[in-house]
Amino acid sequence: MNAAPPVHLLHWRGRVYGIAGLIILLAVVAALATTVGSVQIPFLTTGSILLSRLPLIEIVPKWASTLETIIIDIRLPRVILAGLVGAALAAAGATYQGLFRNPLADPYLIGVAQGAALGAVIGFLLPPGWHALGFGIIPLLAFTGALISTTVVYMLARVGKTLPVTTLILAGVALGALLSSIVSYLIISSGEKIHGIMFWLMGSFSLSQWSEVIMVLPYILTGLVVLLLYARSLNLMQLDEEQAQQLGINVERLKLVLLGAATLITAAAVSFVGVIGFVGILIPHAVRLIWGADYRFLLPLSVLTGAIFLILADIIARTVLAPTEIPIGVITAICGAPFFLYLLRRRRRVIF
Amino acid sequence: MITIEMHDVSIGYGRNVVLKGINLRVSPGEMVGLIGPNGCGKSTIIRALSRIIPPFSGRILVDGQDITRVSRRELAHLIGVVPQMPLLPSAFTAFEIVLMGRNPHLGFLQYEGPREIAIAWQAMEKTGTQSLAERRVSELSGGEIQGLLMARVLAQETKALLLDEPTANLDIGRQIEILGLIRNLRLDGNMAVLAALHDLNLAAQYCDRLVLIDRGRIYAEGTPREVVTAKNIAEVYGAESCVYSHPVNGLPCVLLKADNARLPGLSDTHEKEFSKD
Repeated sequence: MNAAPPVHLLHWRGRVYGIAGLIILLAVVAALATTVGSVQIPFLTTGSILLSRLPLIEIVPKWASTLETIIIDIRLPRVILAGLVGAALAAAGATYQGLFRNPLADPYLIGVAQGAALGAVIGFLLPPGWHALGFGIIPLLAFTGALISTTVVYMLARVGKTLPVTTLILAGVALGALLSSIVSYLIISSGEKIHGIMFWLMGSFSLSQWSEVIMVLPYILTGLVVLLLYARSLNLMQLDEEQAQQLGINVERLKLVLLGAATLITAAAVSFVGVIGFVGILIPHAVRLIWGADYRFLLPLSVLTGAIFLILADIIARTVLAPTEIPIGVITAICGAPFFLYLLRRRRRVIF
Repeated sequence: MITIEMHDVSIGYGRNVVLKGINLRVSPGEMVGLIGPNGCGKSTIIRALSRIIPPFSGRILVDGQDITRVSRRELAHLIGVVPQMPLLPSAFTAFEIVLMGRNPHLGFLQYEGPREIAIAWQAMEKTGTQSLAERRVSELSGGEIQGLLMARVLAQETKALLLDEPTANLDIGRQIEILGLIRNLRLDGNMAVLAALHDLNLAAQYCDRLVLIDRGRIYAEGTPREVVTAKNIAEVYGAESCVYSHPVNGLPCVLLKADNARLPGLSDTHEKEFSKD
């Protein structure tokens, strides 16, 4: 009668191949990104330099040490940071969309970006003495601003012991508008610092260093692991909260855990590279169009696609008008939007 | 095998009391029907029994334990719910929805394996929904979704069922099919079943006991024959009716009396003949 369970119904094969293919693509794109730049370094040399740094591999250096510095200390941290931020924003976007059951949700919906922007702008306006403290005061203030604003939104939105998502979105939008207007005022009155502020607000990887990678890494990795662990629960949240509860989900705790993790990785990402739009909202939708809505696959596939996309966008940002850098947010929208619209037209079916 | 009990329970939303002093008991292998007019609180009882809304006062016991002391996960092992017209994510496939019923049986780090898939597939077979497996929810009709919800609750493998209008969107053939399936579950699996039903005839045919709710309290309770009477129907629903015995099993059947009974063309003899009893 029905001897073998119909495993094919979950389309695991296509989705697992998708994950494997994207991991390979990510490695290729990352290697490409370390090769491309103002100093032309042959692909083979780049490969050798990268491989020589891996344990257990012995390669006798045949290249100039300046090349090694460029690859290892300048380009590699930048590529890794771009990948991490892309992964973080895409995963946070997918999570917010799932949690709010709203396709328009993005990682900045509940005040993370506006809080970070206010923190960063305050950092830019501080007297020079503050900037000599030995660590990045701007990322620190941006991170603090992001966490404070989301905490305030969270507290404003609470009703008794529950956290209705509609209230959360409205509180986030309202507080975000308030913070944005303060940021606008500060920008107008910032005098000659306006250029630096605007550049930060549009996002850039131009100041990436290993120290930043090391600071961001623990937040983003922890957050991503938590989100991936709760992927099945997030599927159940796509029913309504009542059904999720009747199927054994502690909905209020789930909301808290997912909001916390998604907000933390967004705050970490935004603090170091500024507010990069588009990745968080459209990468998850692009993944849905290709591989379906199941969060157990949507989240890992979004992580990989987000990383690849942002690394590619950063290559364009630093090469097209070199030596001038284009803000990365401009690239993500210019390149991503047409591709997304193409996908949208090709697959005419319900995606959310 | 579990029993579900409500002891002197008052429930409502905000400060608004919907139901007062409700005493209810559903035993293993028993099917109890909740009947009553629109908005009388049938769904509210089901939501209270699945711990969606806490009662203002009184106690709700599941398997002898106070429901507030049972975790969501444990409760989902014991009680399965088929909600009325629920929201389903339109981009998911029917099979993915049914598979969600396995959630309470899976550990934190576990994904659905062949065993879960086989159980979900069997549940779809029993409910006649296998042919829908790869369709997306957005493409399904109301009746098909109803079948899917039934499959999901079967896949959940619980010991009791709470059903909110499980036959609301079904044609008569499917109504009998789903209610027959529920009857087999409670008789073979000794499940306790509580179902809110609009259709008094179906309620009388399939339930062991009926609870008639009106204006926030239990108006009548007992066997279908005791509860489904022309007098009760007139008082609770404000509808005139004739109640007959089913020619095969003797259970009560309700025929409504339309206002146009005295319109020209319908002879008096006709009326006399049918209103004997």
